[in-house]
Amino acid sequence: MSTLETPAQAEGERLDGVLMAIIANRFNAVVREMTSTLLRAGRSAVLTIARDFSCSIVTSEDELLAATEGIPVHVFGAHLQSAQLNRVYAGDIHDGDAFLDNDPYTGNTHHADHTILVPVFHEGEHVFTAVAKAHMADLGNSQPTQYMPFAKDIYEEGALNFPCIRIQQERQDVAEIIRMCRRRIRVPDQWYGDYLATLGAARTGERRIKEILDKYGVPLIRQFVGEWFDYSERMAADSIKTVPAGEYVRHGQHDRFGPYDPIKIKSVIKVDPKAERIEVDLTENPDCVEAGLNLSEATTTACALTGVLHNLDPAIPKNSGAFRRIKVKLRENCVTGIPQHPRSCSVATTNVADRLVNITGAAFEQAGEEWGIAEGGLGMNIGYGVISGVDFRTDEPYVNQLCIGNNGGPATFENDGWLTYTLPVVSGHMYRDSVEIDEQKYPVEFHSTKLVVDSGGAGRTRGGAGIEIIVGARGKPMRIIWSGDCHETRPKGVHDGLEGGGPRTAIREADGTERELEPLGEHVVEPGTFIIGRECGGGGFGDPVDREPERVLADVREKWISPEAAREIYRVALAYDEESGRTVLDEEGTRQLRAEE
Amino acid sequence: MTNGDQTSFLHVTTDVGGTFTDVVVADGAGQMTIGKSPTRVNAGEGVLAALGNAADQLGQTVEDLLGRTQLFTYSTTRSTNAILERTTAKTALLTTEGFPDILVLREGGREDAFDSATPYPEPFIPRELTREIPERINSEGEVVRAMDEDALVATLRQLAKLEVEAVAVCFLWSVMNDVHELRAGELIEEVMPGVAWTLSHRLNPVAREYRRASATAIDASLKPLMGQHFKEVEDRLRGAGLSGEFMVATSRGGVLHAAEVSERPIDTVKSGPSMAPVAGITFAGAEGIDRDLIVCDTGGTSFDVSLIRDARVSFTRETWLGRPFTGHLTGTTSVDIRSIGAGGGSIAWIDPGGLLRVGPQSAGAEPGPACYQRGGTKPTITDAAVALGWIDPDTFLGGRMQLDAEAARTAIRTLSDDLGRPVESTAEAILSVGNEHMVRAIHDITVKEGVDPRESIVVAGGGAAGLNVVSIVRELGGSDALVPRAGGALSAVGAQFSDVVREFAVSSFLDTGHFDIDTANAALERLDAAAAEFGAGLRSRGIESYEIERFVDARYKHQVWDLEMQLPFERFKGEEEIEALRETFDATHLRVFAVTEPDARIECLTWKARVSASVGNSDGVGGSASTNGAKGMPTPRMRKTYMNAAFRDTAVYDGSQLPPGAKIEGPAIIEEPTSTLVVPLGAKATLTNGNSYYLEV
Repeated sequence: MSTLETPAQAEGERLDGVLMAIIANRFNAVVREMTSTLLRAGRSAVLTIARDFSCSIVTSEDELLAATEGIPVHVFGAHLQSAQLNRVYAGDIHDGDAFLDNDPYTGNTHHADHTILVPVFHEGEHVFTAVAKAHMADLGNSQPTQYMPFAKDIYEEGALNFPCIRIQQERQDVAEIIRMCRRRIRVPDQWYGDYLATLGAARTGERRIKEILDKYGVPLIRQFVGEWFDYSERMAADSIKTVPAGEYVRHGQHDRFGPYDPIKIKSVIKVDPKAERIEVDLTENPDCVEAGLNLSEATTTACALTGVLHNLDPAIPKNSGAFRRIKVKLRENCVTGIPQHPRSCSVATTNVADRLVNITGAAFEQAGEEWGIAEGGLGMNIGYGVISGVDFRTDEPYVNQLCIGNNGGPATFENDGWLTYTLPVVSGHMYRDSVEIDEQKYPVEFHSTKLVVDSGGAGRTRGGAGIEIIVGARGKPMRIIWSGDCHETRPKGVHDGLEGGGPRTAIREADGTERELEPLGEHVVEPGTFIIGRECGGGGFGDPVDREPERVLADVREKWISPEAAREIYRVALAYDEESGRTVLDEEGTRQLRAEE
Repeated sequence: MTNGDQTSFLHVTTDVGGTFTDVVVADGAGQMTIGKSPTRVNAGEGVLAALGNAADQLGQTVEDLLGRTQLFTYSTTRSTNAILERTTAKTALLTTEGFPDILVLREGGREDAFDSATPYPEPFIPRELTREIPERINSEGEVVRAMDEDALVATLRQLAKLEVEAVAVCFLWSVMNDVHELRAGELIEEVMPGVAWTLSHRLNPVAREYRRASATAIDASLKPLMGQHFKEVEDRLRGAGLSGEFMVATSRGGVLHAAEVSERPIDTVKSGPSMAPVAGITFAGAEGIDRDLIVCDTGGTSFDVSLIRDARVSFTRETWLGRPFTGHLTGTTSVDIRSIGAGGGSIAWIDPGGLLRVGPQSAGAEPGPACYQRGGTKPTITDAAVALGWIDPDTFLGGRMQLDAEAARTAIRTLSDDLGRPVESTAEAILSVGNEHMVRAIHDITVKEGVDPRESIVVAGGGAAGLNVVSIVRELGGSDALVPRAGGALSAVGAQFSDVVREFAVSSFLDTGHFDIDTANAALERLDAAAAEFGAGLRSRGIESYEIERFVDARYKHQVWDLEMQLPFERFKGEEEIEALRETFDATHLRVFAVTEPDARIECLTWKARVSASVGNSDGVGGSASTNGAKGMPTPRMRKTYMNAAFRDTAVYDGSQLPPGAKIEGPAIIEEPTSTLVVPLGAKATLTNGNSYYLEV
C-alpha cells in the first residue's frame, strides 16, 4: 500500500492552507510538550502545581513564533531575549549550547524568571530558539522572597543577575555557574531540580523542532514562518477594523505602599480602524520609582498587548506577525517603560503590571456598549505569599511562593468573570495549588480556603469571586512575605457595573483576636496562630438591575451573592420554599422592586 | 450441545450505543457473526434482539447461542450519556470543614485567556448540595480534629430529607488515614440506608484533592444507575439462557466482572468507544499497514475518533468528560479518544440565517430517523441516505427492519422547500454538511496536534461509516481508507480482542537515600497476594493463565509528579536491584523529559501489579466475516441512485458473495448485513484477504 508523501511545494507558490495549519499546530504542540515537561519534571510547587512558567519558540530573526498556553506577561517579550542572545554571542552560538538569562534591562521580565534559551540548529544553521521561562522559588534575593517591592535598586534586591550567559556547552553544564547558584540560592537542590526541568523543557523543544526541520526542510519552514506571520497580521488587522475609531484614555493607580505615594498611571489607546492599527501610548506615565515596582520593557509591552487583545478576536495567533499591528509606545526611565539600571524591577510582572492590563482592557469601554472588559481582581496577598523557614519534619530549609489564592476575573459583555483568574497578567492561565500538596511539601496547615460571598463585582454580568485563605505554620515559625494591592482602589466595573470586593490581610492570634496587617509586608507566623488573606473579586459589567432574575436566583442558591445583595443591589425578591427546602424567585416582588428604580 | 468441540463454545461481545445495539458472536475458530438492532430503553431487550439477528444468520436460536456462550462481554454508553445529559443521581458531596469549594475551584487553568465567550464551568455537584463536616487529618495521617459524628448524622438526615440518592465523601488526607471516611460510610449506611456512596481514598487514592473529589463525585452519581443497569441486563440474559461469564468493558479497553464494575462504575465511562481502537489496530495489522491510523466509529448518535501511532492504543491519565478545563476530570486512566455528537441519527435543520445545519441533536433510536416509522419526522443523515437510494429500504439490517423511503423524502422536503433545491440535492447537501463535523473532529486530533492526516489511513467502522468514508477521506486530502467487513460493529468487534485487566496498588513511600528492602518487598508481597487471589477467581471461572507485571510510580526527591516504570525484577534482594531501579528511573526520566539527575534521590510512592489474562480472540481476523466460499465475481443488481449531483445507474453488490481480491469501481454500493458501503464515482474498493475493503478514493 502506498504511503502518501507530503505534497511537493513548487517554487514561489504559497503554502496550501491545510499544510500551513498543520505546521503551525505542530509548533504549538511542541510548546505544549515543553510545558508538560516543565510541569512534571519541576520540583517547587510554584512550578509543578501552579505552573508559573511559560514556553515559547522564537525565530533566529528574533520574532516570537509560538507561545501557546503561555502566561501573557511572560511570553510576549521572549523575542527581546533572543535578540539579546544574538547581540551578545554573535558568531559564537553553537549546537549544544544553552543560555540563562534573567536580566530585566535587556528583555527579561524580572529577576525571578530564569529563562533558558536553547538555539536549535539544522545542518549548522541556527534556525530557531527554544525558550523556557520559569519563576524560581528563590533567586538569592536579600530577603527570602522573589518580590522586593521596597528595594531601591538592584543592589538592595540582591538577586543574582545573569545577563544572558552560557550555562551549557556541548550539552554539559558550565559547572562554575551552577556552583555560584548553589552558593547563593536558598534550598539549592530545589533550584537545581527546577533548573533541570526548565532546561529539559527547552531541550524537548529543541528535539521536536529538529524533527520538524528534518521532515520539512529549512526552506519550506522559513517560507511557512513568513506566511504565518502575514496571516496572523491579517487576522489582527481584520479584527482591529471592527473597533470604533477613537482615542480612549483610562487612569488607574497602585495603592500607596510603605512610605511611597500611589503610583498613578494611564493608558492612552488610539484606534485607527481605517489603517487597521492600534497604538498604546504609555510615555506620559511617571519616571521610574526608587522601589521594586517598575515594569521592565518586556512586561510593559506584554501588559499593553494583553489589555488590547482582550478586546480583539481570540482567534488571532499571538505572535510577532499579529503584533505588527499593535504599537506600544514607551520611553526610557518610565515606571511603565524601559527601566534604567540600577532601578529595581523586582515586582515587574504583577502589581503595577496588573493595573496596566486592567486600565488598557477597560479603556475600550469608551468605544461603545459592547466594548471593554471590567477590571480584574489583583494583588499578591497571602494566597500568593512567599513562605520560608525550616521544616520541623526534616530539619531542612524551605522556600516557595504559594499560589493558592484567587482573584476573581473581570465581567465581560458575554459572561460573568472567569473564576480562577489569578491576576490580570495571568488571565486564568496558571493553575492553583492543591491544599494537600502544599501541606505535604511545606510545613503549613490550612484552616480554610473559601470563596467570599458578594465579592464578585455586581453587574448585568458579574465579576468572579475572590477567596479567603487562612493558613498557619506547623512545628516552627514560618516567615511569609506578600505584596498586595487594592486596599484603597479596588477593581472597577465598566458600563455601570460595580467594583469587585476588596482584600484583607490579618493575623489571628492564638487567643482568637485578629489584627490587621500591612497590604505589602511580612510576618513571622508562630505555630498556633493563623494568617488571613482575602483576595479581590473582579469588576462587574453593566447595570446589576439588568441581570435576569433567574440568574440572580441561581447565584443566591450557589452562594455567589447573598439574599441581601440580591434585594439591595440586583433588586430581586426571593422567598424560601418550605416544601423543596430551596430559595425561590418572588416574581411579583421583583417586578415591584425593579419598578421602584 | 457437544463438549470438547472447540467451535461449540462462543464468545459474545456487545456494545449498546445511543442508537444501535451491536452484537458479535465468535466461535472457537474466530468466525464472527454480527447482529444489530435498535437500542431499547430496556437495554437487555435490545441485546436479545441483536442476538436474534445474529442467530438468524447462523440458523440457530438465541437460547442455543446463550447456552453455548462461555464469555459474554457487555459495553455501554449509558454512563457517559448520563453524565453528559446530567441524568445521574442527585448526589451530595461531604468535604472537610473549611474546604467547601474544591469542585468549584478545580485546579485552575483555562484553554484560552482571551476567549470570553466560554463561561466558567459549573461544579459537578452544586454548592447547594455540598456539606462541610467537622474533621481534619494532616499530611502525616494524624487526626488533628476528630470527626464530629453528631454533626455528620445531622447533615445526613438533612440530605435524606432532600431526597439525595448518592453521597460522595472526600476528606482531606483520607489517603493517609482512612478512619473518618470509613466511619462516614458506616453512618451513611445507618442513616440513609439504600443510598449509594463512594469514599475517595478507596476509589482514587491520590493526593491532590480536586481530582480525587471529582472522581468520587462522578462515581457516586453513577452508582444507583449503573449497579441497577448491569443487574437488569445480566438477569435478562440469564433468564434467556446465559450460563457463562458476564463481563463488562472498561475505559482502559479491558474487561472486568460486573460485580467489580458496579462497585466502581466510573470505570465504565467511555468504555464502549475505548474498544474501537483495538479493532482498528487488529484489522490494519492484518493488512500489514504500518502507517498511523485514524480510527473512526460512526454510529447513530456519536462519532468517536482516535489516532493510533506505532500500532499502540494511547492512554491518558487525565481523562476529561467534555473539554479540558471546562469538562469534568474523571481522575482515572482511559483510552485517549474524542467523541462528538454526530452520526446517522443527526438531525438536519435550517438556522435563522438560512444556513443548512446538521446536529448536534440526534433522533437517537427513539423516535429515530423519519424512515424508521417510529414517530420521527425530522430529517436525519440516514433519511438522506435512503432518499438518495444509497440505503435500500428493503434490505436494511439484512431486511429485518423495513424502512419507509417516502417518509424520508417527506422529512427532507421540509428543508428542500426552504432551500429551493430538489429533494435529492438537499439530501446530498445534508451528507456534506454532516461530514464537516466529522472532518473537524479528525482535524482536532491530527492537524491540531501537528499531525498530517494525509499521511495516515482512515480505518472506518460503525453502522453509518460506509455512507461517507470516501467523502471524508477526500475532504482530509487522504488517498485511502480501510473498512473492515465486520466494521459495522467496530466496538463490539474490538471487545473480542480485549483482555481481562485488573490493577492492584499499594502505597508505600520509600526513598533510595535510605531504602528499606523489607518494606518494599512487603508491598510487593501484598500485591502478589492480591493478584494471586484474583487469579484464583479467574481460574475458578475457567480462565487458566494470566500474567503479572509489576510497576512503581517514582520521582526524584522534591518532584511532585511521578513517572510509572516497570520493575525489571520480582523482589529486592540487595544493592543490585536498588541500582537497577535507579537506572531504570534515570533512563525513563531522560526519555520523557530530556534531562536526568543521576545523583538525586528517588522516591517510590505507589507499587502496582497489573494482572492480565487473555480471554480475547487472539487469532485476529482470519475468518472474521462469513464468505460463502464465493470464487467468481457475481453480477450486481442495478439500481438508480443519486450520487455526485446526478442520477446514476449504480451497481449494487451483496458483500457476502464477493470473492477475496474482488475489485469494484464506483459508482457502486456494497451491502453488508449490518452496514452499507458507498463507493462513489472515481473511487475503487478491493476486498482484501484480511476481510476488509481497501478503498482508494
